[in-house]
Amino acid sequence: MKSIALNAFPRTVGRRAGARKLRAAGRVPAVIYGRHNPPQRLEIELKDIKAAVHGAASEIVLVDLSVTGDPKPKRLALVQDIQHHVLTNQVLHIDLHEVAENEKVTVLVPVEAIGEALGVKTGGGTLEHVLYKVKVRGLPKDLPEKLVADVSLLEIGMAIHIGEMKAPPGIEILGDKSIPVLAVAAPLSEAQEAAVLEAAATPTGEVEMIKEKKEEGEEGEVKPGAKGAEGAPAKGAEKAGAEKAGAEKAGAEKAPAKGAEKTPGKPGEKPAAAAPAKGGDKKPGKKK
Amino acid sequence: MSPARVKYRKMHRGHRTGLAHRGSTVAFGEFGLQSLERCWLDTKQIEAARVAVTRFMKRRGKVWIRIFPHKSFTKKPLETRMGKGKGPLESWVAVIRPANVLFEVDGVTELVARESMRLAATKLPIRTKFISRHRMG
Repeated sequence: MKSIALNAFPRTVGRRAGARKLRAAGRVPAVIYGRHNPPQRLEIELKDIKAAVHGAASEIVLVDLSVTGDPKPKRLALVQDIQHHVLTNQVLHIDLHEVAENEKVTVLVPVEAIGEALGVKTGGGTLEHVLYKVKVRGLPKDLPEKLVADVSLLEIGMAIHIGEMKAPPGIEILGDKSIPVLAVAAPLSEAQEAAVLEAAATPTGEVEMIKEKKEEGEEGEVKPGAKGAEGAPAKGAEKAGAEKAGAEKAGAEKAPAKGAEKTPGKPGEKPAAAAPAKGGDKKPGKKK
Repeated sequence: MSPARVKYRKMHRGHRTGLAHRGSTVAFGEFGLQSLERCWLDTKQIEAARVAVTRFMKRRGKVWIRIFPHKSFTKKPLETRMGKGKGPLESWVAVIRPANVLFEVDGVTELVARESMRLAATKLPIRTKFISRHRMG
């Protein structure tokens, strides 16, 4: 990858208002960071960055950065990320990753298919880009702008995998070798297309409710075990009792059921004292 | 197109201010159709646009629908007095904000993709624009 000369200026303004003023003045806020130097805030002329990226296969380009007033004459950096406005595509911010010439870096490189696949030409298949970008590792100067894959021999059902991609010298392609990058898929048959149309044309009926099903499931799951048998009547008693009973009352009603379970095992003063009071609450409820 | 299962059938209308940030880039295909306005797209409109795209592409290429009508909306019957609770369910809609990618296509030339997206756009009640994965600068 050839490096492109780029001028930058140290940035003093920050925050949203400062960045907006910069953009209005035709400059873009940027930052440079790396392993050997602390991060520095910069501003770059928009037309310069557009010229650097224009015509490149991807936005990841290598730049020779010269910062005004910086003691270092040139700093080698990769354009790590360019933030765009979602609607207008205006450049909002640029991340520059400072790299050393003798240190390997990992970047995502776009894959370009050349030629027309046999499966597309004769069989009516579709060329599918499973991966648009592939991770590669190498020295900054050796990094390719893009990886090229010849698909002219691909027939329907065939694919080019990461392991079959040809890397330029000094570059290692990372990732699982069995992952397909480009594949030729069979065209949709008439039956498949009809099935898709039918599925789409079916009227939207009643939508199933998750809540209702859960309640049904819970009810169905209750087993006639010891715990369930004890728990169920207590709840039933609550519901059957006064409807306007508050949360406190409900708590008081729940407790006796548990207390009743525990009292035979642990004869103590407290449960014995609590039991009659709770029983007293419960009985009038039942009478109602 | 409607959800298979929901927790609650009737929903609040909600707000649709701001721009879409999630689902605003071409993620699966090569080309896409991006919304420039906000609206509720109902199931019929989405389906009409999908049919327009697939008919033009004639089983070539691949189409992705990036939106789904997750939101239900209700409507009171005609000549009904106000009150008596929320009306019955009318339809399902997808909430669209500016910058949402609605459809994506791959495996066709840019010309075919452009024309298919134009046909889809005619079925929609909002302004849209054709975008490519390789837009830069």
